[in-house]
Amino acid sequence: MSDPGPALSAQKSWFIARARHRFAMTRECALLLPRVCAALADPRQPGSDDTCLEKLLDWFRTLTEFDPAVKLVQDNPCLTEFITSVLALPEPSPSILSFTLRLAGILAASESRFQHLQQEKLLVRLFGGDGPLSSAVWEDASVRSGWVEGVHSMMHHQPALHFLCNGGGIDVIFALQGDPSLFVASAASRLLVHMLILSVETETTKPLSAKDCDWPACAQMIIKRVEDSLQSSSASHVEQSLKLLTSLFGSCRSTWTEVLWLGIAKQIESFLTEKTVQVQHMLANLLLSMAWSPVFCDSEGSFWALVTSALEHLTPVQAGPLAVGILRLYKCPQDVRIQALTVLLQPMDCILRAASQPLEYAGLLDESVSDPATVEGLLSSKSSCAGLLCQTLAHLEELLSLIHLPVDLPYASLLRSLMTILQFCNGFLSPASPLGSTISRILINCFRVQRSALDVLAALSERKGCDTLIGSLFDVLLAYLESPNTSPTVLKKTFQATSKWLVRLHELSCSNSQWQQTEKILEDVFLVLQKRLCSPCWEVRDSSLEFLTVLIKSLRDQDEFRQSLLSSEVPRLTENLLEDPESYVRASAVTAVGHLAFITYFAPESPVIGNQYDKENTVAKLQEILSTDPEGFPRRAVITIFTKWLRQGCTGQLEDTEQFVSRVIQTVEHDLDWEVRLGGLELVEVFCSQTICQLGPPKCSYAPVSSAVTSSIHQNKSLQVFCRAKLFSFLFRSLCDCDKPVGQRACDILLALRGSFYPISTLKDSQETGDSPAGSGIAWLQRTLRQGSLAQNFPTDGGNGVDFEDPESMMLALGTIDLEELHDELNKCSDHVEKSPQSLLQDILATVGTIEENEADCY
Amino acid sequence: MPEIKVTPLGAGQDVGRSCILVSIAGKNVMLDCGMHMGYNDDRRFPDFSYITQNGRLTDFLDCVIISHFHLDHCGALPYFSEMVGYDGPIYMTHPTKAICPILLEDYRKITVDKKGETNFFTSQMIKDCMKKVVAVHLHQTVQVDEELEIKAYYAGHVLGAAMFQIKVGCESVAYTGDYNMTPDRHLGAAWIDKCRPDLLITESTYATTIRDSKRCRERDFLKKVHETVERGGKVLIPVFALGRAQELCILLETFWERMNLKAPIYFSTGLTEKANHYYKLFITWTNQKIRKTFVQRNMFEFKHIKAFDRAFADNPGPMVVFATPGMLHAGQSLQIFRKWAGNEKNMVIMPGYCVQGTVGHKILSGQRKLEMEGRQILEVKMQVEYMSFSAHADAKGIMQLIRQAEPRNVLLVHGEAKKMEFLKQKIEQEFHVNCYMPANGETTTIFTNPSIPVDISLGLLKRETAIGLLPDAKKPKLMHGTLIMKDNSFRLVSPEQALKELGLAEHQLRFTCRVHIQDPRKEHETVLRVYNHLKGQVFPFFFYPPRNGLELIILR
Repeated sequence: MSDPGPALSAQKSWFIARARHRFAMTRECALLLPRVCAALADPRQPGSDDTCLEKLLDWFRTLTEFDPAVKLVQDNPCLTEFITSVLALPEPSPSILSFTLRLAGILAASESRFQHLQQEKLLVRLFGGDGPLSSAVWEDASVRSGWVEGVHSMMHHQPALHFLCNGGGIDVIFALQGDPSLFVASAASRLLVHMLILSVETETTKPLSAKDCDWPACAQMIIKRVEDSLQSSSASHVEQSLKLLTSLFGSCRSTWTEVLWLGIAKQIESFLTEKTVQVQHMLANLLLSMAWSPVFCDSEGSFWALVTSALEHLTPVQAGPLAVGILRLYKCPQDVRIQALTVLLQPMDCILRAASQPLEYAGLLDESVSDPATVEGLLSSKSSCAGLLCQTLAHLEELLSLIHLPVDLPYASLLRSLMTILQFCNGFLSPASPLGSTISRILINCFRVQRSALDVLAALSERKGCDTLIGSLFDVLLAYLESPNTSPTVLKKTFQATSKWLVRLHELSCSNSQWQQTEKILEDVFLVLQKRLCSPCWEVRDSSLEFLTVLIKSLRDQDEFRQSLLSSEVPRLTENLLEDPESYVRASAVTAVGHLAFITYFAPESPVIGNQYDKENTVAKLQEILSTDPEGFPRRAVITIFTKWLRQGCTGQLEDTEQFVSRVIQTVEHDLDWEVRLGGLELVEVFCSQTICQLGPPKCSYAPVSSAVTSSIHQNKSLQVFCRAKLFSFLFRSLCDCDKPVGQRACDILLALRGSFYPISTLKDSQETGDSPAGSGIAWLQRTLRQGSLAQNFPTDGGNGVDFEDPESMMLALGTIDLEELHDELNKCSDHVEKSPQSLLQDILATVGTIEENEADCY
Repeated sequence: MPEIKVTPLGAGQDVGRSCILVSIAGKNVMLDCGMHMGYNDDRRFPDFSYITQNGRLTDFLDCVIISHFHLDHCGALPYFSEMVGYDGPIYMTHPTKAICPILLEDYRKITVDKKGETNFFTSQMIKDCMKKVVAVHLHQTVQVDEELEIKAYYAGHVLGAAMFQIKVGCESVAYTGDYNMTPDRHLGAAWIDKCRPDLLITESTYATTIRDSKRCRERDFLKKVHETVERGGKVLIPVFALGRAQELCILLETFWERMNLKAPIYFSTGLTEKANHYYKLFITWTNQKIRKTFVQRNMFEFKHIKAFDRAFADNPGPMVVFATPGMLHAGQSLQIFRKWAGNEKNMVIMPGYCVQGTVGHKILSGQRKLEMEGRQILEVKMQVEYMSFSAHADAKGIMQLIRQAEPRNVLLVHGEAKKMEFLKQKIEQEFHVNCYMPANGETTTIFTNPSIPVDISLGLLKRETAIGLLPDAKKPKLMHGTLIMKDNSFRLVSPEQALKELGLAEHQLRFTCRVHIQDPRKEHETVLRVYNHLKGQVFPFFFYPPRNGLELIILR
């Protein structure tokens, strides 16, 4: 890896220093901790909220990460006292015992603290055979989970390793791999992997080799157990070991893993061929994790032979994930890749063959490599057909989403196969062949398969080589768009695929000048879109509008597209949907109308002019939505569209734009939805930067107290424009917004404006308000803002004589108010105080002894 | 043996967030997809990686069912469907589908407001997720696929809350979600028919409590609000936009009307109109009283409750304000609280529970000096009241539901381990059924004895009746035939028909075995003896007398 560079490492150390400071054991915390410990260990107190205990552990984890010294436990003897007192309880509550185990593990993560706890004999009492392990509370999954997590946390040094191995802990962990709790079982498996790696990597004195593999004692114990369980006749034992190996090979890339593998390879291989123990489904994952490890993928011969054998022996469903994983690899023998491709394409091939008459046969795969009997069997069974197809389609989509595909797929045949599946699903194809008719009967109206096939279809549009089929593809897509049986979710996916293929169609028609085909298809698409825009189902109307917006975004520069669109009823229907009863639809209609405007009004060669598309009317409608719509989504959509128009220079000359912006911000500043207000600020930001660009930067630097400056202020057109448009009132008010992101954004804009109006050199001198007429008002403003933006509302009367439309006052305000300080304040979490360790300790203490009803309550 | 497996990923011996996986007859269903509001990191969502080791979630899960709109039941849904990648069907009732996005938006806003919170869904994700939802009506049997069907029952609790029955073949599970067995001011009581599920998964929040009448709590609430307003104080009621807010609004509206009170009542956000709009829209989901009075007056069109403007907080004189969010952790409710906290005449009433890390939690646990930003100390002099209006079934209600549904097994979720333990024993004693209470991550397996229907071919039946045996329901009798299992259905047909249907040719097998018998008697005598002996054997042996030496043919 490349060096992150000094800037990045400086940033990293800044973050560490900040976190260390934030989570440090302050004097206040150290004072609270003994009381908290006493309360937690007191069985008479009702148990503390689980989240409190979790957060307390988070804090200790951070504390100990930054500081491995023993000082933490020495300075805070309450911690060891707490452990001792919990151990002394005759019947500790499972949650407190679990907490204690995890806490002890976190503390023992450093060797010095481990020794300290050992001296006190706490670790052996907690994690040894006579501890919770042998008590009745062990029945509780949270205690077992706490035990495993505690051991995992401490497992960073050899003493911990020896402590556990010598105390019989390995047996416990192996047993916990089969725990009834999924969480405990998987934590135990992860722990074993961690211990094995730790043991080999810290205790091996010379490199291990197949001939001379002198495993360290702890590693030896684990490996022996793994080998034994692989030979066991119990499927669950074998599964546990395979899981462990999968996770090991997936996380450890050291060469010793190969030495370990050589010892078990024969046994693993036998699972494939003998099938006495049903664990084949686990083998694909194991082999895949190995294939991704350089230790194995660079090896020659035996490993890849095993992968090939697995691809042959596993069922298509089991082999699928392995095949797709192999196909993603850049380094892989060609014959294995072909084998994997065969596995993946087999079902698609089968579909094609099932649909075709013998003479038309054009499968995906060469007959010599394909053995279709199994796949045909699965596809003709109702219980497995959809499952296998969905899995295959998902894998294909995964492959197609890769930018660089290490393998060539037969795109045209794949597309044909996809079309066939989609036609089976909507009943448009019922072939005569027995297999074909069986599959089509099974797939008819199968939404799952439809959704997956459409996803692949969309992904396939990025690939070349399917162009000859594009006409028939649109027949299939249009059939889906038209059919009343298409479910809303399938329709949404059809829209997604259609929009992608329309872009592809356009590219094609540019190169082969087949405009007629394109026009016909577009005409059909808009015809069906008209119907869908009137659907009684809001999901369909919304997806239709989203589809229209996507189309306009990608094809608005194309004449054929514009003409087809404008000669259809779609624009009118879209405008009608601005009054839809469903707010999501209104919002999507706003976005669509906003984009339509790029074609109807804003394009230099707007094809239709006249009453039909009245720009003022549309703007007025959107304005009305912004000021009156009872719900946030449409209003948010309007402000986003307005900003987009402004950004693209569609709002006319500067004067018009000034009025437009002014009108908009006066509407949004009282909006109840913070995202609308935030959108308003974005609009202001764009307007400011455009105005400054247009009118040029200030010609000279300003110092607000001098009279020379006063005149130059008046010459500063940008500032005057901003004042006239009432931007400053909006910006300063927003600093006091009860929703933090609004304040933050306003502060950012004000800082940027100050940067434009004040060169840094003059800023230092301008921090005093002086005795100018506006001075007292600004001083008041400064005080108000300093009190904490969230502390109070911005006075409604505009406040104590501050004239937000007076350029001089605003210039003074920009130069005087400590915006940096405000910025820092606003950028703090709104709950940063409540999140602090001290606050947590106070909360735990305060909860002790409160009525129990609160805890049990919920929604 | 057929089995039903249940694994809670959340709500197993806790009330954090509900997410329960059920496997029934080869189908996998996720019940609820909740979020834990006590965490700001990934722990707020259930760990979905446990659902399937490597496969795709969409392939593994047949559907997701959401019981109601509370975030601890639906809060992780957009994350699950738009970020984790579940693309299959999601079911909920119509009101839940309408209201869910409002609450999700509300919560998204708060999390975005708090910096450092990552991995959270966007507005577009909420919409895309809701578009995947299939809304269901009460008592409508919805066919998820050919085998799996679900049916919703009224659960009370909040508007649109439902219990669901999940059925595959003759095996079934009923899931209660949160429910309330007593009607309240705006909702009716939960009801389920005698569906006799193999397993009833029930919430057990108030497993050991017999709750006092809600009327008492309501009276108490009104008394406190009234007293404060009378002495000129201001009352802040932090609420979430939907649910309890509406219940309390009705309560105050009626009280104000009756007492002819003049102090203004405000609802702080624009959400109230939308919320009330849904209550009006889904009037059939409310209780009988509201439905009846609807003809004369809609209970959700409030005369006394007005929209709040931020500037009103500084107005002198008494007032009551409902403000969001409900735990005083951000936004408007916190802003108003800061303003009013210093005055002992004022009061804050927390009508629901607050997670640690919120100002609501602090004041409820009795803390009165709160550190705010900039190290400022806010001294809370105003009165702090906690009043739980949460609508869950108490121990009595849970027992009543079990009596109604008559399940064969019960599984407790959404409660505390200790209380569950108590209720479990009670259920086992009273109903003589097994009761389970798995922790999160623990799988409970329940064996079922499904009766498998088998169709009998007409030909076979006729043949049986032809030999004089008329069917009699009281006398089950043995019937011979060939069982054909095809497309998940079973048919018993005559062997000839089976051969014909399956297109198979008939083959006859002959097993021979040579046996040497040492017998001093003559060969003929020996054969006869053996013949007579075997002839005496009962079915299924057939014996053909030897034609040619010592050859026996025995057919089974």
